[in-house]
Amino acid sequence: MSTVSASPAAPAATAEPASAFARLRIGRIAANLALLLIVALWTFPTAGLLISSVRDADQLALSGWWTSLTTSEATGAAALGTAADQTDEDGQYVISGDILADGTSFTVSAVGITSREPGAFGVGEPVEMRDGGILTVDETGAYRWTSATPFAHERGPRVYYVASEPPRFTFDNYVSVLTANGIGQSFINSLTVAIPATVVPILIAAFAAYALAWMSFPGRGILVAIIVGLLVVPLQMSLIPILRIYNGIALTFGGEAKGYLGVWLAHTAFGLPLAIFLLRNYMVGLPREIMESARMDGATHFQIFVTMVLPLSFPALASFAIFQFLWVWNDLLVALIFLGSQDTELVLTGRLVNLLGTRGNNWELLTAGAFVSMIVPLIVFFSLQRYFVRGLLAGSVKGG
Amino acid sequence: MHKTLLAGVSTLALAMTATAGFAQDIVRGEGDFSWDSLDAFEAEYGDLGGQLTFWTPWRDDPGDASQWRAVVSFFEEATGVSTQLGSSPNYEEQARIDIAAGSPANITILPQPGLLAEFAAQGALTDLGDDATAWINENYAAGESWSALGQFEGQDGNVAQYAFPFKQEVKSLIWYSPVNFDEMGYEVPETMEGLFALQDQIKADGGTPWCVGLESGGATGWPATDWIEDLMLRTQTPEDYDAWVSNELKFNDPKVVEAIEIFGSIVKDDANVAGGTAAVATTAFGDSPLGLFTIPPQCYMHKQASFIASFFPDGSEAGSDYDFFYMPPYESEADLGRPVLGSGTLISITRDSDAARAFIEYLKTPIAHEIWMAQPNSSFLTAHTGANVDVYSSDALRQQGEILLEATTFRFDGSDMMPGAIGAGSFWTGMVDFVNGLSAQQAADQIQASWDNL
Repeated sequence: MSTVSASPAAPAATAEPASAFARLRIGRIAANLALLLIVALWTFPTAGLLISSVRDADQLALSGWWTSLTTSEATGAAALGTAADQTDEDGQYVISGDILADGTSFTVSAVGITSREPGAFGVGEPVEMRDGGILTVDETGAYRWTSATPFAHERGPRVYYVASEPPRFTFDNYVSVLTANGIGQSFINSLTVAIPATVVPILIAAFAAYALAWMSFPGRGILVAIIVGLLVVPLQMSLIPILRIYNGIALTFGGEAKGYLGVWLAHTAFGLPLAIFLLRNYMVGLPREIMESARMDGATHFQIFVTMVLPLSFPALASFAIFQFLWVWNDLLVALIFLGSQDTELVLTGRLVNLLGTRGNNWELLTAGAFVSMIVPLIVFFSLQRYFVRGLLAGSVKGG
Repeated sequence: MHKTLLAGVSTLALAMTATAGFAQDIVRGEGDFSWDSLDAFEAEYGDLGGQLTFWTPWRDDPGDASQWRAVVSFFEEATGVSTQLGSSPNYEEQARIDIAAGSPANITILPQPGLLAEFAAQGALTDLGDDATAWINENYAAGESWSALGQFEGQDGNVAQYAFPFKQEVKSLIWYSPVNFDEMGYEVPETMEGLFALQDQIKADGGTPWCVGLESGGATGWPATDWIEDLMLRTQTPEDYDAWVSNELKFNDPKVVEAIEIFGSIVKDDANVAGGTAAVATTAFGDSPLGLFTIPPQCYMHKQASFIASFFPDGSEAGSDYDFFYMPPYESEADLGRPVLGSGTLISITRDSDAARAFIEYLKTPIAHEIWMAQPNSSFLTAHTGANVDVYSSDALRQQGEILLEATTFRFDGSDMMPGAIGAGSFWTGMVDFVNGLSAQQAADQIQASWDNL
């Protein structure tokens, strides 16, 4: 009996860790696959944008970025030489030249003399011209137009060609964006807006969060609830009333109707509810014992805040700083409304969107513009990201 | 055969220098410019000083924004006023916000008379005075239709001159490729009958006559309104056109329905338009003329205003790659003359100051117009009869400018003057519905119904 029961048990005992191992591996593979898929999904559009940003504007308008590595077939036209270009070779009148512009690497596969049939004749095939004479074009685009009688035309007739065109990559879009009028000024404007608009709300929010977390006063709970409630107020709704109030106050005190002060205050106000909410939740999680022992040693609230709470909250402060900086840097609406978009005040996002042109015809510049404007947020993110992860975990693991 | 080879070469040469500099190309005291008008202006306003801010619809740099900067730079130089220019893709909305919040620019420039009428009714615009009206009537070709364009009812209910028209566009143009026309032996038609005969001939030759694109984001449908307006001017009297714009002539009147049907006879035939009728409403208006330049050509003609040349492929030359002809009148309606449809931008003072008033005076000088006329690659046209047409930077512009100056009947874009809900709403959508299947009568009834509901 025992052998009967033992014999199936033995393989089971060995099989159990194996299947657990298999399960673990399947789980991990599935998780990794899902991760890979998500990463691919997120990077796919960015990769497309990156490729588009280095493509030639003409090719970009014709085909998608995924075709960027394939040779494309293009049709083109060129004017032949005029009578003034002819040479006399043993009684034969010859006009020769190149139908392709200098510096192009096309391979001509067919030529034609009407736009309707641009590829009617093969390469090297003699083409009878309407103005008289015989034209031959080779693969490189070099042509030779010969006639027994002198040419008399003053305007070179057109020939059409079908050519295969290798992919063209260029940094022209980046050059246009970086050399656009006032782009440097806009960069500075954006920094002028973003730095104070990040520091000021953090400063205010840290004080407020400490008070709401560790100072007891009547109505504290209601105050927290109101601040959380403010998170859902759509800022678009409040733009005009706030601007009107600001303009009224500023003009009374002899200030400018629109300006940096206004945009700093606006960003501070729009950022504060989230900042206070995040920081308060983090500070509430700090160990009560430290505060109490400090209090017993006679520390004031301000001392506790500066010497203990601030350093301990650094991850939360840093992660909020990233949030706020990214939002302010990428913001267009608030800056346009509170700062205006006069040339000297335009922020980077505003400058880039104006590069589109009056009728939106220069959209290829936006692809490069997106990467130019990404540089600063990337620097900020990578220099603060180790705090970012810790800050996101804020409050999830209670320290004792 | 190719009448404007030289012009093509010179525009190309100008285009090449365009990237090098703008205002610097024009040196004070040199060329065929009316410098004496600037001297006279400087004598009066030379020691003004101060600040002036502008809010404009222009953002192309190089392009209309830099050309406008050149115009302003001579004002700065003459008066010592320092200026700031601004614009954004939603300039209409932002102008509205700034006016509502009380912080508008000194000078606001908009192409929509309907929107300015709203601002005037809110009391946001400054009355430019009767002498401005008199000046426009006297100095602009078809002056009274231009001054009427800037006259709105103010907050007090009195009609006054609140805006000054500057920078005009001609809409009655049909663009084509002279090379393609030559190859197929087509001639530019002189009459509407001839235009339809040409359309049929192109089809008989296996080609597609028209490229029409109505897509324009939130404004999809507006190119069709230009068609209807041009056809109205060619089939009905100017008085009927005015009555139509003010809805004294109902939108579903047989006269209007007839114009819509003529448009339908063109776009509702798959063989007439590149991509077929289904593509008309979905093709971007800026992309549709590119069919003229493809090899083989997707179409032979494209009707659009003068500004469309800025959408043509880089390096294409006026005169050989593209050209335009005036959309001809019907031979059978000879008494209607040669009507011209146009549009333009209007300059208004939204925050009054001495510098802003002086700027309006500056716009009355021929030199303010000539500086922009001479800018390479511009689409600036002016109805100012005192400005020297020789300074236009290309023959194409000069011909368009002359169309403007010689119009026997000039009418402003009707949809821009209709109430916003119609001219920038149901007229657009009604035209899209019409192209996509509604009958002319149904579309007209639908638009009239929305007008009745105002």
